[in-house]
Amino acid sequence: MAEYVGIDLGTTLSGLAYLKPDGNPEIVPNSDGERLTPSVVFFEAHEDVKLVGSAARDGGEPDRTIFQIKRHMDDPEHLVEIDGKKWTPAEISALILSKLKRDCTKIIGEITEVVITVPANFNELARKSTIAAAEMAGMKVKRLVNEPTAAAVYYAHTQGVQGRILVYDLGGGTLDVTILTVEGDNIRILTSEGARHLGGSNFDEILLAAYAEQYQKQTGSKLWTDERHRRRVLHATEDAKKMLSKLQRVNDTVANDQNSGIARIDLTRDSFEAMIRHMLTRTVMLVEQSLDSAKLRAADIDHVVLVGGSTRIPKVKTVLEKMFGKTPKSCGNVDECVALGAALVAKKSARIQEVCNASYGTVAMVYNAKTGEEKLMNSIVIPKNTPIPCSRTQVYQTSEDNERVIEVDITQGEDEDAKFVDIIGRITLEVPPNRPKGCEVAVTFSYDENQRVRALVVDKQSGRSREVAVSYKGAGVLSEDELKRKSAYLKTMRIE
Amino acid sequence: MFKKILQSLSKSQAAKPEAPRPAATQAKTTAVSAKTPAAAAPQQPAMPKTPEYLCEITPKMQRDQIQAQLKLLYRRYNRSASSLDPKIRAQADQMLDAIVIVREKHFGQI
Repeated sequence: MAEYVGIDLGTTLSGLAYLKPDGNPEIVPNSDGERLTPSVVFFEAHEDVKLVGSAARDGGEPDRTIFQIKRHMDDPEHLVEIDGKKWTPAEISALILSKLKRDCTKIIGEITEVVITVPANFNELARKSTIAAAEMAGMKVKRLVNEPTAAAVYYAHTQGVQGRILVYDLGGGTLDVTILTVEGDNIRILTSEGARHLGGSNFDEILLAAYAEQYQKQTGSKLWTDERHRRRVLHATEDAKKMLSKLQRVNDTVANDQNSGIARIDLTRDSFEAMIRHMLTRTVMLVEQSLDSAKLRAADIDHVVLVGGSTRIPKVKTVLEKMFGKTPKSCGNVDECVALGAALVAKKSARIQEVCNASYGTVAMVYNAKTGEEKLMNSIVIPKNTPIPCSRTQVYQTSEDNERVIEVDITQGEDEDAKFVDIIGRITLEVPPNRPKGCEVAVTFSYDENQRVRALVVDKQSGRSREVAVSYKGAGVLSEDELKRKSAYLKTMRIE
Repeated sequence: MFKKILQSLSKSQAAKPEAPRPAATQAKTTAVSAKTPAAAAPQQPAMPKTPEYLCEITPKMQRDQIQAQLKLLYRRYNRSASSLDPKIRAQADQMLDAIVIVREKHFGQI
């Protein structure tokens, strides 16, 4: 049995690693002989089989092929309908995890418990969906770990470095920036910031638009008229993008599926980098936001570590080098280090000090007695990046005379403008009658090691209190029975 | 010095929770300080929505003020860009583009 196993369930590629007896992690190839498996599922129409990986990506019909399901893990309304059955993102992810489990079990033995990586900015529903996917695939999740943290653990393990590390993780679908310190075997996260919908696939789409424009100019026709052909061209742009990381110039030819002729596409690295410059500027702004969050300057960072396939783009390296005054480093294969790090985390998880992923607070009218100003705002009780476990209290006052029910909104988010944060819950507390406004109410938030948040409201005069677990229980979260049923159903499927 | 009075958004119509929207969209429906260009928008519907306008950058602003404003907006709209609502996501994307254009104009390209 494989004791320490880590899985990188990526937007475009997924990988599984295990810890060898010598303490070093190793990627386990799938049954197609590939070290990483494309996160693509194809629902075959003629045979009762689900294809996962390269076979699913390279062939098949677009209507029956699912790409980048990870981008929808937090969307309870995103359902994929195939042959009348509606599949949730967690169920489709479970097919990918099942393929990894079944293939890798043949090499390293039974896999029962795993560490799975998620983007640092994954919300609670996306994290719960990931855990549900693993359970449907017959694996217990020992822990979820943020992708940049896993990569940093691997980097520290292989390079033996100490100090402050900034991990810049630009994958197929998301960007994560994490700053952490490594002291001996101990890792302390200082901050994690993320940008959803910013990754290599955005660059592919930009190139696709450029191809379509060129084709229109040269032939006067549309490059594609259906999704199948659009996918083919998209695949070609992805190849061109990869080649431009090695070559200064790439020549390509494309045709549409209507016999409108062939167009020649000339691409240079400079022109490609100009096309994606605005996207890269956004990534730089996220790096700056991370430094601000950690109250650090670029000069305070000892190592800049690159993770994710999109960091192969030379401009990424150049921009970060200019910003930090030092050459960013990669920890081996940028596509594999997250899975490798996850296998290490499976053994060393107790040595990683995490922080709150978001700020929690409530809505309050804040009066400044000195200036007389008043402002309705998101009043943060427990700030993002507070080391966990932790507990913080703020005292508020009631707003009305004879208030019988105190309502406390629970906010998640850093913005002081209440319109720009999420209201994720509400606590109501009945209090005695005939009291004037201005009675004190203590609001406490606690955050435990398992990233569970609790909120406690105490009316100080009456001593009445109410405590709730702040957790997502809405649409998209499966009950235990549903999970068991879906897991049993998945076991009967043929997944290749 | 600060007194904090609990407010429930359900009780407070003034602070009714809304989906995050770009500054220009907000200007059409919410009362914003008269000092901001966004607030002036309803009176001048023909005014072009330049990136500066969207980011509420005025000609009198100092470099550090522009930088602070862009950082605030980036944090705000990067968060909105993760919304499940495609409309909010598209508007956030439009704002992020405007933020980058203003940044390049005032602080140079990366």
